[in-house]
Amino acid sequence: MSAPQPQHRIELAVHEGEGDLMLVNFGPQHPSTHGVFRIKLLLDGEIVVKAVPYPGFLHRGVEKLAERLTFTQLGPIVDKNDYIAPMTNEQAIFMAFEKLLGIEVPRRARWMRTLFAELQRVASHLLWLGTFALDLGGALGGGATVFLYCFRERELVLDLFEEVTGARFHYNTHTMGGNRHDLPAGYAQKVHATLDVIAARLVEYEHLTSTNRIFDVRTRGVGTISSELALGLGLTGPVLRASGVDHDLRRDAPYGAYDEVPVNVMTETSGDCLARALVRIREMTESIRLARALIDGMPEGPICGAKAIKTPTQFKAASGQVYVGIETPRGELGTYVIAGGNERGAAPYRLKIRPPSYHAMSVLPYVLPGHMVSDVVAILGSLDPIMGEVDR
Amino acid sequence: MGYPLDTLRALGVTLKNLVRPPTTVEYPKVTRPRSERYRASFALLHDENNEELCIGCLACERICPSQVIAITAGPKIQSVTTGKKRGTATDFTLDLTACIFCELCVQVCPTDAIIMTRTQEDPGFSREDLVLTMDKLYKNEKDRPAAWGNATKLLGMQEQEAKKDE
Amino acid sequence: MHWLLWSVVIITVLMTTTAWALWLERKLAARMGSRLGPTMVGRHGLLQPIADLLKLLQKEDILPEAADGALFNLAPILTAVFAIATVAVVPFGEGVIAADLDIGVLWVLAFGGLMVIPVWMAGWASNNKFALLGGMRAVAQAVSYEVPLVLASMVPVILAGSMSMTDIVHYQQQHSWIALWPTLPGLPAFLLFLLASLAESNRIPFDIPEAESELVAGVSTEYTGMKFGLFYMAEYIHTLVSSAIGAALFLGGWSGPFAPGLHWMLLKTLGLFVFIYVVRWTLLRFRQDQLMRLAWVWLVPMGLVLVFMAAVVVVWGGA
Repeated sequence: MSAPQPQHRIELAVHEGEGDLMLVNFGPQHPSTHGVFRIKLLLDGEIVVKAVPYPGFLHRGVEKLAERLTFTQLGPIVDKNDYIAPMTNEQAIFMAFEKLLGIEVPRRARWMRTLFAELQRVASHLLWLGTFALDLGGALGGGATVFLYCFRERELVLDLFEEVTGARFHYNTHTMGGNRHDLPAGYAQKVHATLDVIAARLVEYEHLTSTNRIFDVRTRGVGTISSELALGLGLTGPVLRASGVDHDLRRDAPYGAYDEVPVNVMTETSGDCLARALVRIREMTESIRLARALIDGMPEGPICGAKAIKTPTQFKAASGQVYVGIETPRGELGTYVIAGGNERGAAPYRLKIRPPSYHAMSVLPYVLPGHMVSDVVAILGSLDPIMGEVDR
Repeated sequence: MGYPLDTLRALGVTLKNLVRPPTTVEYPKVTRPRSERYRASFALLHDENNEELCIGCLACERICPSQVIAITAGPKIQSVTTGKKRGTATDFTLDLTACIFCELCVQVCPTDAIIMTRTQEDPGFSREDLVLTMDKLYKNEKDRPAAWGNATKLLGMQEQEAKKDE
Repeated sequence: MHWLLWSVVIITVLMTTTAWALWLERKLAARMGSRLGPTMVGRHGLLQPIADLLKLLQKEDILPEAADGALFNLAPILTAVFAIATVAVVPFGEGVIAADLDIGVLWVLAFGGLMVIPVWMAGWASNNKFALLGGMRAVAQAVSYEVPLVLASMVPVILAGSMSMTDIVHYQQQHSWIALWPTLPGLPAFLLFLLASLAESNRIPFDIPEAESELVAGVSTEYTGMKFGLFYMAEYIHTLVSSAIGAALFLGGWSGPFAPGLHWMLLKTLGLFVFIYVVRWTLLRFRQDQLMRLAWVWLVPMGLVLVFMAAVVVVWGGA
């Protein structure tokens, strides 16, 4: 399926004779660009005529760095790509390395990874809901209140991670062949208690957002992405599912423990901001259900299938290439590794990360024209972009 | 539902939260409880004979993904504890400004010499304040509570079942 | 000379009240958001407004190179002056009024309407695109919401048969609060007034001219220090005065049992003020076209019907 190509430059002359247009640089220093992101907006009054996104302000050269560091050192480095869901980055990169090196992951480690992934999805979607409300309601009003509520509950999930790994952000808990930290005693009760709180409070957030009339009028019919456009641009995750495409790697290409714990995939058909919001809110409920099932059914056994990391050059792969895609809160996070880098094969020759947000952002030039400045913020927020992941 | 009813329902939520106890704690006065494994800073340890455990093997310097550890290996000395020859480190610096707290240096240490602490460094006015010198690292052993992890425990956790199989 | 005395007293009290109303809002917002709010300066952060004021005064005063200097500096001053001017006709008690004009209601509405001029001035003079967009939105919004505000205020005027605030309160003392009886034009008119004054003073859900998630800070984007402080203060005074006028026009002003009138007036004003801020920290905001549609499609016709009903009540109600 081929999608129409956007023009790369704003040609002011093209719009001559159509009235006075104003060029606004929306970002990189702007409260609602979710980090540092710039959109060149050509406005006719308040209506967007043309929009050109400019990513790259948070580029850190992680993929180049991966050619210098060894397999064992890369786990903690990629934590910072998707900084809202760091756990999923580790999971993706180690799943790729394990496939490359042919390492088997024990069952308990797979279940633990899946449990973390689902908890991470709850935490990530909570933060999305908070920032989306902030986009719609402002930092000095109802938006800020929802934002703080969401953060309050997100912190509870981070507390759970801290309990296992000792960190709230740089977990570095995944390792080659499994996990580094085992679950502490009495962890299941803590998970259930936290999920009870979050499940109860989710209803409150819906009263403030998705079932509120103001939220509804601000998002319904705004930023509609058709399923053709979504597929043509390679959108994945909740954005794709909101456009009516029933696609979820957790169900369609099961990894971790998803073959044993089936996932109900949430879809919507309208493809607008409201649909994306509803998909994410329902996914939170679904993830809570999955996390409960995972912690209840957690098998006993070893947590690491390979020798624990002792030296940088411990794992070597001279040749081969693999691609592994996992379903992060934002969509398909792909890791493509070509083996045979420096230090006699202890590092990747090339590492390519396919971030879901980067592809989600590519939809902006298509959907923004015709919308108002207020909608630009809503549409950008509904795509849930994480700039660390977009720019890497 | 229409705007008035939705507004009332939303007001119900915020007013309910108005009477809930606040989540914020005033940090320097109150500290949030930290988990046992919480990792915040580093310390170098002594053994029971007050002998430095670090043998200057450079394992942590090599594994460090951010390359923030710099060690100068010293001369071999006679160990008081074991009576054998062992290495020493004359200098050990850990640059916290670039550290990502991944705990790999703790995991690879062959002598359990480096561990992480549960309280973080005090804020400072210069970047040099955040460079942990050998003195600061040995001072942290006394001043700051140790986190749960050291190399033996971390490796034991990861290889517990693997050992049983052998 | 009592009016001069009251002017001085009322302005002084108003300024200090505004400062601590700000503290109250911050505390309230904080607790609604599961936070603590100001705690450091003074007991429970009660001296926070003073600290804020001192901080604002110390800030560097930046005049953007491309800005229109004269207009840029004049705008915040005019905003503050217009906001304070409206308080002149607010009756805080029997005789506690700076100027008991017989066109009191008109005065309030006129100065409320004038507020849009300095806002547009600021938006234009800043020479900033976000400020310009904010200014344009402010003008469109103020012009639209002026109409339902005037229509809602006409209901008590018609019922009481006078434009003087004192007379309207007297009428309510003899009959009952206009928000309660006659219920049909009274209560909806009160709600309409509340809604329109939310829009007039740029409060959520109608705060699109500021809309900091879209327009950075709207018209005040380029302002620093005390000039920003004046905008900020004017906004709060405007809200406070709107609450006071709402209390005087619809909730019986200073009338009430047991306590002297001043207490009742302050209590009612504070009640409305708190309500406005609780709503502010609860709701999201509308988009400007939705705002305009709400005003012209629903609120203006509603206001016309209410005015007509008020006339019917006066003519056939045997008031």
